[in-house]
Amino acid sequence: MKTPVSVLRLPRGPDPNSRGFDPNSPRFIALCPTTVSTSSSGSVDEEEQRLRSELRERFLRTLLLMTDKQVQFDMFEKVRVRARFGASDIDVLNFQVSDLETPLGVQKEALLRCHDVISCSFEP
Amino acid sequence: MVEWKQQKGKWMKDTLIEEYMPCCMIIWTEHCKDGILSHNRPRSPVSMAMRQTPLTCSGHTRPVVDLAFSGITPYGYFLISACKDGKPMLRQGDTGDWIGTFLGHKGAVWGATLNKEATKAATAAADFTAKVWDAVTGDEVLTLAHKHIVKSVNFTQDSNYLLTGGNDKVLRIYDLGKPEAEPLEIAGHTSAIKKALWCNNDQQILSAADDKTIRLWDKNTKEAVKTLSFDASVSSMEYIPDGEILVITFGRTIAFYKAHSLDLIKTVDAPASIHSASLHPEKDFFVAGGDDFKLYKYDYTTKEEMESYKGHFGPIHCVRFSPDGELYASGSEDGTLRLWQTAVGKTYGLWKCVLPEELSSENSEALYCPPAEIKA
Repeated sequence: MKTPVSVLRLPRGPDPNSRGFDPNSPRFIALCPTTVSTSSSGSVDEEEQRLRSELRERFLRTLLLMTDKQVQFDMFEKVRVRARFGASDIDVLNFQVSDLETPLGVQKEALLRCHDVISCSFEP
Repeated sequence: MVEWKQQKGKWMKDTLIEEYMPCCMIIWTEHCKDGILSHNRPRSPVSMAMRQTPLTCSGHTRPVVDLAFSGITPYGYFLISACKDGKPMLRQGDTGDWIGTFLGHKGAVWGATLNKEATKAATAAADFTAKVWDAVTGDEVLTLAHKHIVKSVNFTQDSNYLLTGGNDKVLRIYDLGKPEAEPLEIAGHTSAIKKALWCNNDQQILSAADDKTIRLWDKNTKEAVKTLSFDASVSSMEYIPDGEILVITFGRTIAFYKAHSLDLIKTVDAPASIHSASLHPEKDFFVAGGDDFKLYKYDYTTKEEMESYKGHFGPIHCVRFSPDGELYASGSEDGTLRLWQTAVGKTYGLWKCVLPEELSSENSEALYCPPAEIKA
């Protein structure tokens, strides 16, 4: 009876909450020191960074404001649906919505793929 | 052999046990009474064959249809897997640890590849697109629209050009420096292209299609320089630049050709239909897997079957040796990737060579000993 080779541990599996590519890994830090697009002069960099932060903050605040509101989603293939917006996931890949009005009826709970959404509009 | 150390000292290449004979473990005999491991000490080894422990990488939810390794980088080497669930994954090559998932494709991913430095990844999918990704951040860099399912993607050595091939029977070459420009097109195949690879210093292209031919094309003239015809559809193709060897599988046969001339070197027949094979970088062995769920290991010189391993729960779709030849990875219909040691029992990656005395000592608590039965 042969002895099986011992193993230190099993390979780590995917993290259910994120798509990975840890920004704190040595490889990431060495190869991507900055994720902002290249600009030659420093002051333009800062200004651009400030504007980006502002836009990001506005986007996140819009998402917060959208919570529990009736939102109309315009999607590909001329799809327009209305639903009550619940939440977004961390990478903004999916929107959790309730009472989604579809041609097939009202779906109590659903996930919308953000990749398929072109725009969304709502009354604040 | 390359020595690598990670920045935080997380893993180091273990040089102590380097000289172990393949497929067996050396136990000290009466000759070495003091039991000191020393490179200079003459020893008379008593071999005790060890059983292969494959490392299973889970995460995919559908069959794994393609896999590719990067070259050896300062951070080790990496592995990308293509899966019908549409979510190709990047893993650390020597441990199988998941690094990230490339999200964006809307259909099954049929082909995946990494550039040599593992800074870029490319994928081919059933959503009629090929995508180029930043393999460090996981971000999608480019989407290349096609007119049908894309099956194969391959970077040139300098990572500046991407070759694609798929069900529309046309080979396309994209200049990644000018992504909006129209790709160079090479037509000729009469059925869907399964695999397309750069060869001969990126001056020529090898393509395998469902029309049961493999064609060698000149990149500049866009003409077919040579054509090989088979009785059955070619299931896989691997190109080894060092030595210019082409590894092809069809039916139960694994065939080796000279890449320049497409002259046959040798063929080997396996017990079952083979879907993929890979030749070791040092060309001492090759591995093959297919319909019977088993992985076969053959001596390349003598063509003798050396070992066969069970472990997968479905047909094996792809198998590739790592760039350092220390392990090979297999992807299966069962949705898993498995890593197998070339030298069974050697300390490498997550595998730890354990001398019999250690098994019963305190050291063994840190080790994971796999159970006799491997369950799904």
